[in-house]
Amino acid sequence: MSAISELIREIDGLKPMPQIAQQVLALAEDPMADTQKIAELIRFDPFITADLLKMCNSAYFARSRTIDSVHDAINILGMNRIVDLVVMKCGAGNFSGEQQGYGLDEGALWKKAVSCAIIARDLAVRVGLADRHLVFTAGLLRDIGKVILSRFVGERFGRIQQLVAEENYSFREAEKKILGVDQSELSGIVAKKWGFSPRLQTLIRNSHMPEGVGFSDHAVNVVYVADQVCIMLGIGVGLDGLAYRFHREALKVLGLGARDLQEIIAGFGDKIREVEDLIGSF
Amino acid sequence: MRVIVGVSDMKVSANPGDELVTYSLGSCIGIVIYDPVAKVGGILHYMLPESSLDPEKARKNPYMFADTGIPALFKASYALGAKKQRMKVAIAGGAQILDQQGFFNIGKRNHMAVKKMFFRNNVIANHEDVGGNVNRTVRLKIVSGDIHIKVGGEGEKKL
Repeated sequence: MSAISELIREIDGLKPMPQIAQQVLALAEDPMADTQKIAELIRFDPFITADLLKMCNSAYFARSRTIDSVHDAINILGMNRIVDLVVMKCGAGNFSGEQQGYGLDEGALWKKAVSCAIIARDLAVRVGLADRHLVFTAGLLRDIGKVILSRFVGERFGRIQQLVAEENYSFREAEKKILGVDQSELSGIVAKKWGFSPRLQTLIRNSHMPEGVGFSDHAVNVVYVADQVCIMLGIGVGLDGLAYRFHREALKVLGLGARDLQEIIAGFGDKIREVEDLIGSF
Repeated sequence: MRVIVGVSDMKVSANPGDELVTYSLGSCIGIVIYDPVAKVGGILHYMLPESSLDPEKARKNPYMFADTGIPALFKASYALGAKKQRMKVAIAGGAQILDQQGFFNIGKRNHMAVKKMFFRNNVIANHEDVGGNVNRTVRLKIVSGDIHIKVGGEGEKKL
């Protein structure tokens, strides 16, 4: 069996994204949808409700009083935040454990997922992008391919590392050369198999800006920049290190310069402890 | 006790049982200082070179920036009895993503920031492990002053 077909078989081993996440996302992205329907969806799911309240009461939101109902959560934090939390809760299950092939300890990939989602969302707001839930979700799930690819990367790490160290490949390019598929492509395949919208599939598949994608899609640029910021900060970085390509063009088309990049980093630095607390509330 | 120094964070200690550690430095810089006589040490993990980017954020968290974090690190160690002239100093981090050039190269700018400050204040780094495309983890044992650096993909080395 080829490595790729073996990899694709392993996708079946992932926990499928719960239906409620997709329903909530679809409603959140539809400007004509009634937000009351989102509240109803959440209310009728006791597990999501319980976890949602736990997350709402984490230090991340720094509330002076306890939030103890979905109604309160929506009124106090707003529907946008609630949608993000539901998606996070639904996505968390697959990021547990270590990804030894990438040298990542338990929790490191999930921390990067949440950090990237938050940075992408804040960046979307900063550049006036309407697709904030989509970029949040893409930011959260764009590394899902690493969960599957980890073992294969581990088995062939020496050859991948050699291409990076000696032939100026990025880590992703080296994965593609050695394994026939890279982490982003595989994440895109997972997104398709999970029945995500074509738009979300595109954002996830292109989150590392592979060759030929171009910079015309602002949502792709936002998710890419958020990922780069995480890598710079060493969040979820393992044996792959910082060996990914920086495309200045992605910032430029968003109207951002070097100072903006620093401001984005500082903005996230401001809330990093609270993000850790939010992650701990899962 | 293991004391974790987070991102935009600083810790100093005179407790012989403590080991300070900062994980996964990418483009951020970790500065390790240690006075072997007073047996006082500290680690700063800063993200960005200059506080002029956002003075309000620097006021709230001086450890985010080189120019506010470095003085704070030294002052905190003096408060525990350390002396500048006895200090051993190590710098780690400042890595960069491939093709991250010019003003966008935060790692390089972070490194320049500490070099500039040290030059102005007559501080000489005994060891630098800086740059490249790797992430680094740094540990300092207060009892001995031993500093260990682990570079991603390589084993840990003692300075």
